[in-house]
Amino acid sequence: MKSLLSFHKALVGLLVIYLLIPLIGTFLFSIAGKWDHTILPESYTMKWYIELFQDERFFDAFQRTLFLIVMSVGLSIVIMLPTIFIITVYFSKWERLLQAAAMLPYGIPPIVGAVGLIKLYSNSLIPIAGTPWILIGAYFITILPFMYQGIRNSLRTINAVQLVDAAELLGATKFQAFRTVVFPNIISGILVSTLLSVALLFSEFALANLLVGGRFETLQIFLADKLNSSGHLTSAIVITYYSVILLLTGTVLKLTFKNEKNPAGKKKNRVLSLLRKQSRDKKFALEGENS
Amino acid sequence: MSYVTIDQVTKKYENQVVLNDISITLNKGEFATLLGQSGCGKSTLLRSIAGLEDVDAGRILIDGKDITNLSPRQREVGMVFQSYALFPNMNVFDNIAYGLKMKKVKNIKSKVAKMIEMVDLAGKEESYPHQLSGGQQQRVALARALVIEPKVLLLDEPLSALDAKIRKSLQKELKRIQKELNITTIFVTHDQEEAMTMSDRIFVMNKGNVVQSGSPTEIYTTPVNTFVANFIGNYNVFKMDTFRKLVRSTELKGDEVAFRPEVLKLLPIGEESQDLQENWRLKGIIKDVSMTGNILRYEVESEDFSFHVDDLHHRGAIFDQGTHIQIILPKKECLFL
Ligand SMILES: Nc1ncnc2c1ncn2[C@@H]1O[C@H](COP(=O)(O)OP(=O)(O)OP(=O)(O)O)[C@@H](O)[C@H]1O
Ligand SMILES: [Mg+2]
Repeated sequence: MKSLLSFHKALVGLLVIYLLIPLIGTFLFSIAGKWDHTILPESYTMKWYIELFQDERFFDAFQRTLFLIVMSVGLSIVIMLPTIFIITVYFSKWERLLQAAAMLPYGIPPIVGAVGLIKLYSNSLIPIAGTPWILIGAYFITILPFMYQGIRNSLRTINAVQLVDAAELLGATKFQAFRTVVFPNIISGILVSTLLSVALLFSEFALANLLVGGRFETLQIFLADKLNSSGHLTSAIVITYYSVILLLTGTVLKLTFKNEKNPAGKKKNRVLSLLRKQSRDKKFALEGENS
Repeated sequence: MSYVTIDQVTKKYENQVVLNDISITLNKGEFATLLGQSGCGKSTLLRSIAGLEDVDAGRILIDGKDITNLSPRQREVGMVFQSYALFPNMNVFDNIAYGLKMKKVKNIKSKVAKMIEMVDLAGKEESYPHQLSGGQQQRVALARALVIEPKVLLLDEPLSALDAKIRKSLQKELKRIQKELNITTIFVTHDQEEAMTMSDRIFVMNKGNVVQSGSPTEIYTTPVNTFVANFIGNYNVFKMDTFRKLVRSTELKGDEVAFRPEVLKLLPIGEESQDLQENWRLKGIIKDVSMTGNILRYEVESEDFSFHVDDLHHRGAIFDQGTHIQIILPKKECLFL
């Protein structure tokens, strides 16, 4: 029994090490001065970070990536949430179709998708080829599976159909029912899907590079460009955006955990205040960086 | 003047007829039960009354008003679901107050407080559904449905998820509240005992049809066909030609004969006390004995026919397995169907 437990612990430990080593390596490299023949760096320096944080291009790229993420994830929530709700609750016959559609992106490699999109839109009446808008469209599709699964599972878990039935019998309209008894109960599920999507899009390179490339330099394109000049600098970039994602994940996880422990009526308010706080922090960070 | 009228309602799913031309009328304040096996259409009928399913034909009237095409929120019916469907993001108070808030009623606080009192949940106002026991959740669901003062209360197997003891006490409580408010109630169950103890009137359903309606006593003592006989009282049912052979009589009419297990009497071999004008006497052997509380349930075999006999559990008077006995069957207790 005891040996089994320590075996499990060892296994988890190994996994953690396996996952952390590349990160630690990257981090060390980002603060390393001279690092040639030793296991650990011979000297440490912050100059890569200083150089990075003094680079206008970095902040511009960061902002562009944030813009893309906020737009596509926001669009996805605004469109997919009502769609999935309406289909699971009222048109359950079509659920399979939606499910199949939502899984399609897995089957299409980004390169193929990008080439197809370029061909399709290069002579199209909708002049979005080469603009960030085509990228937002593509990203919308990329994160579709996550958003779909997350939202649908949350709806299933709370048995949304029956909650709506109950609310309607108590005098609520369909919209009121959604707002008061469905949405508050799936918000944590949506947050988790959102988080996954954000993390995924932060590191998206193939589509961005092919669809807009240098015309709308995202973080990953900036990173790829820097790769040729300095490995230390790219490590600093990676560590920076990892930290941002980590921060985001931490807050959201903490939030959902709290909700589970005490699903108080203040839940909605807490989410809102959290979101407000986040945006304030972001603004703060950006202002601080710009000055 | 009937208060609830269900007039020739038919409902189909794809090509399967789930409700077949159902007509039911109820008086105000009546406690009616839909009783039937799983899948016979009880929930579908209830949901049709609530407006959660559209019917393909027929009309539904409550208090003289045709509600067939109204949305659920306009129908003034309350419903308790089998799984309660409490709102997980709201505490007990807010769950119960929900309907009043939606209807923008005044005095929400005092109305909810009164309801909480009635279902005996004082002190639990701040609890969330997941912090309540099954029985307590069920009370919240009931209070939530009742507080908006619906004209009809619909209950879809509200007690089936609870254990036997709580179930018994909630049956009583439900009945008390129903009487107190004099609210017309349609209750769904597949438990015949529950239907018997609670209802003013029982509608026995089978495959989308109402096969018999009547008071519990009527249904129990005079089932109209073998389906009801089997379902309601564990009746012993025999084909007539086999039964004729068993009792050696040729003048019996009908297709089938049914008799309840408790009308049969078992006597030791050799004891002669029963009048053979009014009873049939058969020889048999005890195949099995089981005890369900105060009832002894025998499985008895006689000339290759086997049937159930129920007897009150008198101390020390148990026939053991394999004992040869006489079976006394009163002629007037046999139903010829
Ligand atoms: N949405 C649906 N689509 C197709 N068939 C359905 C649907 N809902 C119910 N049915 C069918 O209608 C029949 C009656 O179902 P219903 O739920 O009314 O049964 P029930 O009497 O309430 O059974 P139970 O005691 O198990 O709850 C069943 O045969 C079921 O398969
Ligand atoms: Mg049912």
